[in-house]
Amino acid sequence: MRRRDLSLRVLVAAAVVGLSAAYLLPVYVMVVTSLKTPLEITQRQYLVPGGNWQVANYATALRLVWPSVVNSTVIAVTVTALAVFVGGLGGYFLARFRWPVSRVLFVLLAVALYLPYQAVLIPLVRIVAATRLALTHAGLIVSYLILNAPLAAVLMATFFFSVPRELEESAEVDGASRMQIFFRITSVVSLPGYASTATLVFIQVWNEFLLALTLSSPYTTTVQVKLAEVKGSYVALYNLQMAAALITVLVPLGVFLTLGKYFIRGILAGALRG
Amino acid sequence: MPAAPAPLSRRRLAEAVPFALPLLACLAVLYLMLAWTFYVSVSDWQGTAPRYGFAGLRWYRLMVSLDRFWVDVHNNLRWLVLGVVPTVVAGLGIAYLLEIGPVRRLEAYLRTLILYPAAMSFVVTGTVWSWMYQPDRGVLNTILRSVGLGRLAGGYTTDPATATYWLILIFVWQYLGLTVLILQASLRSVELQEMVESAMLDGAGRLRILLAVVLPNIRGGVLIVVSLLLISALKVFDIVYVVTFGGPGYATDVLALFQFIATFQQHLVALGAGLAVVIFALAFVIIIPYTVYALQRWFE
Amino acid sequence: MRPIREVGFVGNGASRVPWGPVVVAVVVAALVAGGAGYWAGQRRVAAPPPEERKLEIFHWWTAGGEREAADAMFQALREKYPDIQLVENPVAGGGGVSHRVVLQARLSAGIPPDTWQTLGGAELKSYVDGGFLTPLDDLYAELKYADAIPKPLLNAVTIGGHPYVVPLNMHIQNILYYNKKLFDELKLAPPTTVDELLAVARAIKAARPRMAPLALGTKEKWEAAFVLDSIILEVGGPEYYVRLYKGEVDVATDPTYRRALERLAQLAPYIYPFHAGLTWDESCGLVVSGDSAMVLMGTWAIGYFKSRGWEPGRDFGAVTFPQKPDRILLFHPDTYGLAKGAPHPRTTRDWLRVVASPELQIPTDVTQGGLFARLDIEPSRFPDPIRQELQTFVRANPGKLILDQHGSIAPFSFTQAYWDVAAAFAAKPDVAGTQRRVAELFTTYNVKNEAAWYRWP
Repeated sequence: MRRRDLSLRVLVAAAVVGLSAAYLLPVYVMVVTSLKTPLEITQRQYLVPGGNWQVANYATALRLVWPSVVNSTVIAVTVTALAVFVGGLGGYFLARFRWPVSRVLFVLLAVALYLPYQAVLIPLVRIVAATRLALTHAGLIVSYLILNAPLAAVLMATFFFSVPRELEESAEVDGASRMQIFFRITSVVSLPGYASTATLVFIQVWNEFLLALTLSSPYTTTVQVKLAEVKGSYVALYNLQMAAALITVLVPLGVFLTLGKYFIRGILAGALRG
Repeated sequence: MPAAPAPLSRRRLAEAVPFALPLLACLAVLYLMLAWTFYVSVSDWQGTAPRYGFAGLRWYRLMVSLDRFWVDVHNNLRWLVLGVVPTVVAGLGIAYLLEIGPVRRLEAYLRTLILYPAAMSFVVTGTVWSWMYQPDRGVLNTILRSVGLGRLAGGYTTDPATATYWLILIFVWQYLGLTVLILQASLRSVELQEMVESAMLDGAGRLRILLAVVLPNIRGGVLIVVSLLLISALKVFDIVYVVTFGGPGYATDVLALFQFIATFQQHLVALGAGLAVVIFALAFVIIIPYTVYALQRWFE
Repeated sequence: MRPIREVGFVGNGASRVPWGPVVVAVVVAALVAGGAGYWAGQRRVAAPPPEERKLEIFHWWTAGGEREAADAMFQALREKYPDIQLVENPVAGGGGVSHRVVLQARLSAGIPPDTWQTLGGAELKSYVDGGFLTPLDDLYAELKYADAIPKPLLNAVTIGGHPYVVPLNMHIQNILYYNKKLFDELKLAPPTTVDELLAVARAIKAARPRMAPLALGTKEKWEAAFVLDSIILEVGGPEYYVRLYKGEVDVATDPTYRRALERLAQLAPYIYPFHAGLTWDESCGLVVSGDSAMVLMGTWAIGYFKSRGWEPGRDFGAVTFPQKPDRILLFHPDTYGLAKGAPHPRTTRDWLRVVASPELQIPTDVTQGGLFARLDIEPSRFPDPIRQELQTFVRANPGKLILDQHGSIAPFSFTQAYWDVAAAFAAKPDVAGTQRRVAELFTTYNVKNEAAWYRWP
């Protein structure tokens, strides 16, 4: 028993050290780069800190990305709310109305998950332009909603499957409508499921680049587009880009770490049980 | 025990419509676009302006005659196998260690550590990794040389023979956190905890417990993880785009990147649409087993 | 499924968890989205009949010295027309890669910007073929611009007899930059032929074994084609170069093309080995850092070297490469045109008038790195001897300009694939295989038909 514990400790220690190295080294490189001068960047001494600590880079970066943080937040939050709403309704349909058509729908949804954005970029932009929403926040929001609703629905369905029917049946006896049951019972019980779906959708939308780039106007530039722009194409300002990245990662990381708790609880509730 | 199919009464239908409608609207637009992509792949659209004349399989024939296409297919298969299997195995190992190992106090640290790449923009992580790999000044080789292991210093993503594998490693690095998170959560179901405890009382070894008790009982979590990873690996674009742009030459090219280049750089929109159809075809081959399994489980 | 007894919050959740806020949040979000959409829709519809003095412009000069060049451009516009409200949509991404994605999506969706940056040659032709640009014969006549610029430049922006865009500069592709101090120290003359280049590379390798004499970065792929182009220009001569990219050469059996590949393979040992990971600016950085001694790059490298504190004539020199059998400058222009269906056509024409003027070209080109498109601007307006000399040469020999890889003769479909093959060759020289693949590309992408529009001399 003792020897086994020892080997376990060694194994754990090795894992902790290995993971720390693999994950801290890139962060270290980012931090070091973000504090360099443009001239130091061009020397490509990635591992070595620059001589002058350019803390001001962070102020500059924050000033540059701030409007885009607002844009991204508005877009990502709205899309997340709408996608979770649509996905919740749709997921409930999949989970509770077990008709042959639901099976077909499920397959269609699963296929939709594999849609590479660039394959639908041109038609999507056409549709958004035809509805006169192009180059507005609403255009991006609608596009992301369409693209993320399937994921939200599939995920929410997996959570609703695990909600015991007995819970709903008693309410049904009391004469509650299906909608009431959905909002007052099933959804409430599945709040952790909503949290985990929201987390995934939020992160996806926050980090999406291609569509944001295509549909962006100077007024709707998102963080990802701004991050690419900050670096530019000529004298690469990696210092500002890294500083901006370290600032803006706080938003999704914060979402992960706070909602992640619910995420885990959601899975704990048995949603993903084999 | 299969549930008796509910009778399709008018009332049930009226009940179902508000639930299904918003999702159906989204799906309708999605499949409209999908149909569009499919049609464009058999049209003759090249150049910047739409041209919808029917061209049959012309662009598919061109596609399969291209050396680059087959390089892409091979690379995509590498991504599917090497991007998914090691991630799941490593993720499971770490999740299991976090459960049984004396790491309670380190857990928050470790979780934040391996999760941040998932929260970070690929533009940025890709850039950082290209610095890690850069052969003459890059981080990894500098470290290797400074500890006297200079002969291990490699060409990484600049060596056509191995470049794709180094790119896949970034993918594993980026998705490991999410994998651990999901697997760890599914490890924590109460029933499983009880089963593990009783197995331990029976004196079973930890590895044996992992393989014989834990693994069969977290199929659901593994399934979700595997399908999320498969989707991401098949669609992979960002990492390749940022780190190598398909190079050296087109050694690390993948279907999604070629699709992008064909459509927007070469202006061969029909060819690009055809490549998207191929990505779907591959996805189909992969999703069908998963869908069948999931349907059996959910519609029992 | 079994009920989940063991999870605590299920039992008491229904009464305690505030589901109200969730619904409220969703409703508010939906209202916000709807409202934003309505507002946006209103805004677009509400455009009054008399044309607004607004200009939506797409360009990719977003950072470093290029951002300053864009500012110089817009400063010139503001001085001439202070009433024009500029709506810039600068799209980040090296050399316009992302720019083209956005533009193509916008154009095929029928929401074009008023004007956008495009290179001359094949890229311009793709927009003209798509019917996205308005011919500018009247503007050219009004400004007498055809007489103000070199004939090959006019040819590069003329498709089917009509000029479609106004060029504001010319970038030259085939320039060899070298570390002047090192060359002086080793008593080397800048090479102007492949043989001289090989000799110089050997001499540098002998004197500085740790150095890779010729810098290269092929991450963006076109850099490899630059080197190959220079060799082709020497091995085959200018007429051959034009015939090759017009698809009139049977590459599969062509000894000249084979010879060019062999020459490049001879150079390979002297090229920086890890080129696949570097972009063009990083490859120029190799020369500054002393890892390499030379680099083949366009005129835009001058701005890069200066930004690193390197002075032309003191720290680095530049020569046209090659100069045998003839001194030819491979070039492409940056240009702006007028979109068909542009929301503000009259304002856009005012903008194009400014683009054609010395008041815009002098500050912009001096900052960004190319040559002046107008031949009547004094070469001495350039601060550096390199461009003074190039501009003087162009003035005296306007016919010696041939389109390069960026403003290519061959269609885009071919060029992109060709760059990849060239970059693959640079990574792993395989003469026979590359010759076969290049020959396939010429037939696959139907270069002979697609490039027939180009005339040289």
